[in-house]
Order: sequence, then C-alpha cells, then structure tokens
Amino acid sequence: MQVVGETLGIETGYSEKVHQPDHVESLSDYARRGFTHVIGHGGEFQDAVERVAARFPDTRFIVTNGLRARDNITTADFYFSQPAYLLGFLAGRFTKTGKVGLVQAQQFKFTNDTLAGFEAGFKSARPDGTVFSTWTGDWEDVAKGKEAALTQIGQGADIVWPTMDSATQGALQAVRENGAKAFGLYYDAISKWPDIILQSSILDVKALIVSLLTTAKAEGLVGKNYKFDLTQPDSVRLGSYHPDIAPDIVGEIESLKARITSGDLVIEPA
Amino acid sequence: MDALLDTGAIALLLAATVRLAVPVGFAALGGVIAERSGVYNVGLEGMILLGALGAAAGTLATGSPIAGCVVGVALGVAGGLLLGLLSITFHVNQLVAGIAINLLSAGLTAFLARGLIASLFGSSSVAGFSQVRLPGLAELPVIGSALFTQDPLAYALMVLTVLVAFVVYRTHAGLRLRAAGENPRAADSAGVNVTQVRFTALAMSGAFAALGGCHLVLSQIYMFSEGMSAGKGFIALAAVILGRWHPVGAVAAALFFGLCEALQLRLQFSNPNVPYQIFLILPYAASLLVLVWFFGRSRQPAAAGQVYERESR
Repeated sequence: MQVVGETLGIETGYSEKVHQPDHVESLSDYARRGFTHVIGHGGEFQDAVERVAARFPDTRFIVTNGLRARDNITTADFYFSQPAYLLGFLAGRFTKTGKVGLVQAQQFKFTNDTLAGFEAGFKSARPDGTVFSTWTGDWEDVAKGKEAALTQIGQGADIVWPTMDSATQGALQAVRENGAKAFGLYYDAISKWPDIILQSSILDVKALIVSLLTTAKAEGLVGKNYKFDLTQPDSVRLGSYHPDIAPDIVGEIESLKARITSGDLVIEPA
Repeated sequence: MDALLDTGAIALLLAATVRLAVPVGFAALGGVIAERSGVYNVGLEGMILLGALGAAAGTLATGSPIAGCVVGVALGVAGGLLLGLLSITFHVNQLVAGIAINLLSAGLTAFLARGLIASLFGSSSVAGFSQVRLPGLAELPVIGSALFTQDPLAYALMVLTVLVAFVVYRTHAGLRLRAAGENPRAADSAGVNVTQVRFTALAMSGAFAALGGCHLVLSQIYMFSEGMSAGKGFIALAAVILGRWHPVGAVAAALFFGLCEALQLRLQFSNPNVPYQIFLILPYAASLLVLVWFFGRSRQPAAAGQVYERESR
C-alpha cells in the first residue's frame, strides 16, 4: 500500500490478517476516518462490505475477487482462465506421457476457472491426453501438497501445477525429486525453482490495485466488476519460459496469446 | 478402483501412508506420554512447528541434519517445559496453556523464519535425510518397499514406539509415570515426586512432537514454511484417544489416519464425479466411527487435566 500511495500521491493506511469476524468493524473504521476508497482484499470480504457499504454511501468499497458489484461497491478480479489456457496448451505440447495434473486446495471461482481454462488449453493441444485434478482441502499443509503431487506423478503425470499457498512448496519438492516439471503461480517461479518450472501464470495483485486506484483518481470507479486480463500485462502475464521448451512451441503460445488479447480467441470461465 | 488392486499400487499407497503418518505418529507418542503423566498436551501442534523451525535453522547453520534434529528437539523440550511451567507451577488450565503455546509458536516461528532464516542464511532450503533401504527387509513383497525404504526418522519412530511402550509398562519409571496420571496423591505418598515426573514427561512430549516437525523439514520438504504443522498436532490428539492412551495404539491410529489420507488422494482419481469433499472427510468420519465403536471401553488416565496440589486435600 505504501508503494501505491507514493506512486499515486495519495494517503493510504492498511491492516493485515484481519479475521472474518472483525471485517465489518475494520472496514467501518476506515470509512469513518474519511478514507474515500476502502479495499477488502479477497472474496471473503464481500458480505462484510455489503453491510458496511449501506451505512457509508459516500465511500467507495472495493472487493478483490468479489462476486457482486453495485452502487458504491466495486469488484475486481483476474481473468484466471486466460493464462491457465496458455499453460494448459503448453502442457499439452510438452508432456510425453499425455498426463498432467492440477493440485488445488478448494473449489471456488478462482480454482474452477483455472481448471476449466487449463483443461481447454490442454485438450486443444493434446485431445487424447488426461488432466488429473486433485483437491487437498488445505492451503498450508506442505506434506499433503507433496503427497498429492506424488500421487499424480505415480499415475503417470509428468507436469504438475500446484495452485495452493505454502502447500505448493511440498508439491514442487515432489516434482523435483521425480524429475517431472511444474508450473508456477503469482510470481515468476522459475527464479526459485529453475530446474522444474516450465512457465508461470503471473497474477500481480499490487499492479491490479495501482491500476484500479489510478482509474479511481482519474475518472472514478463505478459499481461494476473490473476484470484484469492478458491485455493488462502489468497485472496478468506469463513469466519466463524454461530453456527446454522448443522455440516453435514458444511461438505457438505467443500467437495464442496474441489471439486472446485481440479478442479473436475467447476463453470461457467455468 | 482397479488401480488400487495391483501390488505395485498397494506398495505406493502404503509408502504414502507411512510418510503421512510419521509426523502425526511422533506427536501422538508425545501426547500419550503427557497424558499418562496427567497433563493434556494441547500444545503438540505448536511443538511440531518449533521442532520444524529448529530443524531448518540447525541444519542451515551447521549443514548437518542430525544437528538440525538436535536443535529442533531442544526447542520442542523448551515448549514442553513452558507448558509444565504454566500448567503445573502456575496452575493455568492445561487446555488454555496448550492453546497459548500453539498461538505463541505460530507467531514466533513465522517471525523467526521471515527475519532470521532469510537474513542469516540467505537460502531457505536445507540438506535432509535420504531414504535408507534396509537390506533384506526391503526385498519383501509389497510391504518391503513401503516400510523398509524410508528415511531414518521413520525408522526412529518404529523403534521409539516399541521403546516407549516398554518403558511405560515394564519399568519403574513407567509405573511412576502412570501413577502420576492415575492417582497422584497415592503416588506422592509412595514417594513419587509428581511434579518432577510431570515435568519430565512434558519435556519428552515436546521432544517427540518436535521430531514430527523435524521429519516434515528434513525428510519431506527440505525447507521451513509457515504453518507447516497444518493441524497435525490436533490429529495426533485424536490418535491418542483412538489408540486408547497406549503408545503402540496411538502410532497405529496415526497410521490409520495416514492410510485414510493417502487413500483419499487416490480415490479422487478413480471417482472424479463424486464430490471431493466426501473423500476429504473420510479420515474424520472413520475416526468418529471408531471412537463410537470404542466408546465405554477406553478410559483416559484418571487424573488427566487436573492440577495436583500437595498441600490440599
């Protein structure tokens, strides 16, 4: 938030690790203190924001990954299925066994869209292949994340994409021990796991917020959902390619990306 | 389901079971020792985390995973003694004291991991133990590769389980431990120093839980990550009850939970149309059923959870 404040020349404040029962109080507090824009970061803020927004009609509330926008509630999310489609296509071209896997924690919009986009991309490159999907029910359990990836590898998967939080590290460890390959999420993961990461889907929350608040400062936000997709590469983009990926595959991915950004190819969310 | 039936798949399933069960098994052993002495150790979860952080820091500092284990166990012992200080010396409710230790450990390990490990050592990934095949035993069909191609800590758990069972039931020290947990007044009048027994038991309890954390870091992930205990300490508490306060029973219960988890990850594949949540509740549903089945036939140590004051009547 400090970076955002300095970039845009606005005053900011923040609280972290606010638990769900305290959402209403925390959001109201910022509104009372006169902040014109209050952000609840994460879809779990939706209900609290709806309650608070009714009491502070002159404050604009923003929910990232929110579900329902109206009057003074703006929501913003990433077009998850677009980069997932590209990674799925890459997986389909790169896999030798024809089997790849997604290890995710829980089913909700983000993970469903990711799975749908990934499967669509994979099938277009490898119609006869299989996408395994495992739900671990846990974002932090590294041991379970590792075991889930090991299970997929044991079933023949040679590329695994874990999308959990800390548990992702366990899954990547399993991939590394078994000579398989993986995809990264949120950041260019090849910097940390250079031997196994083929490519990453980079979703930059900081850039999303800067972009949103820049719009807010320039023309004001309205009560709708702002979707960030591959046409805004500051927020949504692919990372670096692993050197093992053949140049013609890189070319195919880049041309697919161009078709998506031009609107020629539409990836349907789940 | 066919995939589950061939021997290769069963061997993989059993190996996964053991890997998932080892951290819970260590913590459950710790839980048995603490409760046998008359103190609930709800802080197992935090002590696993302390052990994990110690293992990572110790290994990064020295380059030796054995030294990492020593540091991890030392932190676990410290956690156990802190629980003793709160619950035995200051008479804080044992459950509250345990929860306090969990909260403290979660915050402290996250803070130390972000601050110390990153700045002191630069890297976060550590050298760990590799798998050791036990010659002869590892050649056994199906169970050979599952049970006898493990890391040293998994073997340590097998040996320690038998050792703890022997000490608890066949030695004077074990008798004093059980007496402190069943009837501390009688034990005291027979010359047993109840306070000392309970402190010792809690130190050991912390050490065992910490070994579970060491296994996570040194045998599975090769790095520390925040919150990596992920509820295993609480599952261990259930394993203690399911294992009816017997060391072998508790570790067997941990293996049962491990089997459910390993099975759950595989069943999702063969039945993609069944909601995955059904499989996720499998371990918990199974343990509830078993608890109902055993209801009335298991009894916890009579003095568990109670403060013992020598002067009071």
